[in-house]
Amino acid sequence: MFLFILKRILQSAPVLLLVTAVTFFMIHAAPGGPFSQERAVPPEVIKRLNERYHLDEPIWQQFVGYLGHLLHGDFGPSFKYPTHTVNDLIAAGFPATFELALYATLFALVIGLTAGIIASLKPNSLQDYVPMSAAMLGICLPSFVLGPILLLVFGIWLQWLPVAGWGQIAGDKILPSITLGAAYAAYIARISRGSMLEILSQDYIRTARAKGLSNARIIFVHALRGAITPVISFLGPAIAGLLAGSFVVETIFQIPGLGRFYVQAAFNRDYTMIMGCTIFFAFLIVVFNLLADVLLVLLNPKVRQEVSGGH
Amino acid sequence: MLSVKNLRVVFNTRNGTAVAVEDLSFELKVGEVLGIVGESGSGKSVACYSLLGLIPMPPGKIEKGSAEYFGQDLLRINEKELRKIRGHKISMIFQDPMTSLNPYMRVVDQLMESVQVHHAVSRKEARQRAIKALIEVGIRDVEERIDNYPHQFSGGMRQRVMIAMALITEPQLLIADEPTTALDVTVQAQILSLIKSLQKTRNLAVIFITHDLGVAAQMADNILVMEKGRVVEQGTTEQIFKHPAHIYTQKLISAVLTTAKPTPSLAEITEPPFLQIKQLKTYFPQVGGAFIKHLIRIVKAVDDISLTINRGEILGVVGESGSGKSTLGRSIMRLVEAQSGEILLEGKDLRGLPIGELQKYRRNFQMIFQDPYASLNPRMTVFDALAEPLLVHGLANKGTVLAQVNELMDDVGLDRSFIRKYPHEFSGGQRQRIAIARAIALKPKLIIADEPVSALDVTIRAQILALLLELSQKHHLTMLFISHDMSVIRYLCDRVLVMQDGKLVEEGATEDLFAKPKEIYTQQLLAAIPKL
Amino acid sequence: MTEFKINIEKGTSLTHDAFMRLRKNNMAMIGLCILIFFIAIALLTPLIAPYTYEGQNLELGATPPSALHWLGTDVLGRDQLTRIMYGSRVSLMVGFIATAVALLIGVLWGAIAGFLGGRVDAIMMRIVDALYALPFTIFIILLTVIFGSSMLLLFLAIGAVEWLTMARIVRGQVLTIKGQEFVEAAITMGLSPWQIITRHLIPNVLGPIIVYTTLTIPSVILLESFLSFLGLGIQPPQSSWGSLISGGTETMEEYPWLLIFPGLALSLTLFSLNFLGDGLRDALDPRASKD
Repeated sequence: MFLFILKRILQSAPVLLLVTAVTFFMIHAAPGGPFSQERAVPPEVIKRLNERYHLDEPIWQQFVGYLGHLLHGDFGPSFKYPTHTVNDLIAAGFPATFELALYATLFALVIGLTAGIIASLKPNSLQDYVPMSAAMLGICLPSFVLGPILLLVFGIWLQWLPVAGWGQIAGDKILPSITLGAAYAAYIARISRGSMLEILSQDYIRTARAKGLSNARIIFVHALRGAITPVISFLGPAIAGLLAGSFVVETIFQIPGLGRFYVQAAFNRDYTMIMGCTIFFAFLIVVFNLLADVLLVLLNPKVRQEVSGGH
Repeated sequence: MLSVKNLRVVFNTRNGTAVAVEDLSFELKVGEVLGIVGESGSGKSVACYSLLGLIPMPPGKIEKGSAEYFGQDLLRINEKELRKIRGHKISMIFQDPMTSLNPYMRVVDQLMESVQVHHAVSRKEARQRAIKALIEVGIRDVEERIDNYPHQFSGGMRQRVMIAMALITEPQLLIADEPTTALDVTVQAQILSLIKSLQKTRNLAVIFITHDLGVAAQMADNILVMEKGRVVEQGTTEQIFKHPAHIYTQKLISAVLTTAKPTPSLAEITEPPFLQIKQLKTYFPQVGGAFIKHLIRIVKAVDDISLTINRGEILGVVGESGSGKSTLGRSIMRLVEAQSGEILLEGKDLRGLPIGELQKYRRNFQMIFQDPYASLNPRMTVFDALAEPLLVHGLANKGTVLAQVNELMDDVGLDRSFIRKYPHEFSGGQRQRIAIARAIALKPKLIIADEPVSALDVTIRAQILALLLELSQKHHLTMLFISHDMSVIRYLCDRVLVMQDGKLVEEGATEDLFAKPKEIYTQQLLAAIPKL
Repeated sequence: MTEFKINIEKGTSLTHDAFMRLRKNNMAMIGLCILIFFIAIALLTPLIAPYTYEGQNLELGATPPSALHWLGTDVLGRDQLTRIMYGSRVSLMVGFIATAVALLIGVLWGAIAGFLGGRVDAIMMRIVDALYALPFTIFIILLTVIFGSSMLLLFLAIGAVEWLTMARIVRGQVLTIKGQEFVEAAITMGLSPWQIITRHLIPNVLGPIIVYTTLTIPSVILLESFLSFLGLGIQPPQSSWGSLISGGTETMEEYPWLLIFPGLALSLTLFSLNFLGDGLRDALDPRASKD
């Protein structure tokens, strides 16, 4: 198991290196970027940049230098706000984004799994159609349509919930979490319905029924373990989409999170911030994919045995 | 003990209502073994599943009838009451032990669960009972293996676990649904005798569902024959076999192959031999490992096999799963590449042919596959499937191809009017006829048939075997016939070759080998054939 | 000639079966109708649009739906129906062209990997796996920031993201079909690899490819709208549904129709494509044909 995790970590390293290289050289190619001399930037900034990135050196040496700083967890100064480092900005924005993504994932898992399981128990009945229609709605209402509509209805017309902010007024975390999580709840509902249906038709479920077990035990002890696998393999890569979704949700609800900072940085052409965030996001995606992979191995006794060398 | 009366089960599908079981009645006494015999679609499994509420409802529906178990009607009581009987008083074992155990749960947990659901016992007590039950069904090193997962057991061992799980609650009735069909013949014999001995020591009543009359004869006191949802005949085992009254029962009994080959093939011994295989080795390297992929072991699927087939002869290759018999056939067909050795067809080495030449030369050796559902392209009509090889090899042109295809249809006993139909519109037996027609279309010198009848129902199997025999005489075919079934081999083959673990165990003329098997393994295989 | 007089029974092919099943699926057929309706509108927009795209009426300002302006006007007094119609041209075009890009790369990549197998397959799929781990949405944003946003960039960038899944699906299908006995039978009959691919492989992998293509189009449209919503996709004066929604969000408190109608257009399109895709999958699923 340890070897398996080590192997996956080693496999992830080239991916991160690739992301860093692509980002670095793309930014280098950008007209008016931090590494071109054409721009009218205050002299003190140029001086700082020069100190930092050794702009007089050949490009590959600059890249190696940047990598060196990265390895120490140092993303360098912001291009736009010379008084801040990229690390400061990430540290300021990440907690809110993380919390938002966490609540959205929990919302998606609870609602999605419940809906999927309920639907799978009586396929092609009302009990199936209602949650699955809701799921279709969730997939076809993107967050940037759902968010404003929720905001309009619950925030402005009904005035039940706050319209903006994060952690300032009670209940201001509800709408953003639902907005971000809705589509994932819908996907999870569809995936878990499909996998539950497949598992429930397996021979070993028939065995469990023939043993006289209760329905609850059959569903939760026998079926769910196998049925959850596709949901987890969906969740790993879904983190990338969740982060992208946070750009929109944080913009709509004016949450001071990393997603909003990133979009602002994109408009402000804060190149070092963009570069740092991109690499940071890639790191998160790689980590969550790794976690999903490990979880998948742990859940399947056969794969687990193969991975740990087997007897 | 159990009295079933006028049971009728239907399935409501999109295309209307299908009657699965019609007017089924039978009685079962304590300690009695009832065999329910029938082919696929006869309703034999559905009938038993519906007794315990195990058919999916909807689409299934029990329309009529009663099933009194010690005076309690199983079809009327509610789900909660039924659950107390299911797995407690009446237990079941199923066909495929590979899929019938939960792969995510330890064996011990699955056994303990059965105990704890029906008896108020402590975990420790339940574990003790699980160990006892596993010892009783003949699992060795129980203390060590009890914490394993199902995938760590072989097929036969898993079926033993299933039996232990069914009997751990001390039921009075065991319903066994084709419990040995998925197993190798020698394992089948062991499992059958295990069930028989447990039945005797516990005075169990058993309902034994099977398609195999031989197995039923061996196990059952009374037999019930079903066809298309109806009982066609019912009686003691002796009555049924000695004096079958119904024509379908007679058909079933005559489909059990007990005889030698009716007419031997006219084999010509030629020089060089028609097909000669010298020291063929097909190995599969197995790579794996947690960190760095490396060679774990080499599977010697075909390990140094030499054989000859004379022109016009049918050579049988018999063996259990994993014996390498299929790999041997596939190596000759060059569907897998052998490591070393020679395959000489009329002196020409097939292994030495370059790809382009091989494609042309393939018309001389053709194959019939096991699964007629998979071996035909679902998107091609019968005409296209049969015309394709003829056109590719230039044996027909647009003008003659229809006549040739029609002739092939006649050859395999299919109606000419079917040629524009697609494979999914045919039954399994008809599909295998199409596959046979395709194999003989090119008039090949050699045909390799890989278990061509093992996926078919017994009566259909008899028809296809008769067809193969007829064709082999009509067209003077030379065939390598691969099968796990000794009785099929005996019916069709002139000579037999027994394989085990990739190696040749014994070889000889069929009747000699059946009369005087030299090797222990061959004797085991022969002893495992169920007798009528 | 007597033998030609026999009454030959015509079979029903799987494709025909599937088509019949699809026709019975109401939601899929409704989806198909809506989709055709939207495509027709998008194609005919320059001819049937009630107003000009740029035409402003500053005195009018934002008005709710009326007889003159069925879907109302925006703050600059521009007719919203016209703007949504022009937006549909952009959104649908991006959807179809970027999907075509993804289809082309994905099918070729997946089919080659699946058919050749072995080491080539392993290397090609490793590349796909590695690319999967990249934050593509973020890369697209990066690209638009650096090179400015253009339609061409959007086509290529979105196509470059979506081909990965397509490649995986096609490879999986090819591998499954390749292992089937009827392909082995074709090999033993002496067919050339090319004949096997065209006669046996392609007809059997077509179904899942069609299904997945139908389901890729909505996700592409979604991605484009997402970028345009953030202001990183389609740039003014052009507009897509995403940018209309973005504009509508800013003024939704006063003029909610500016948010609701473009949102409705987008959601309806996504609905129709998803229902059609689901319907196609149900119709083409071989497991469904067994019962």
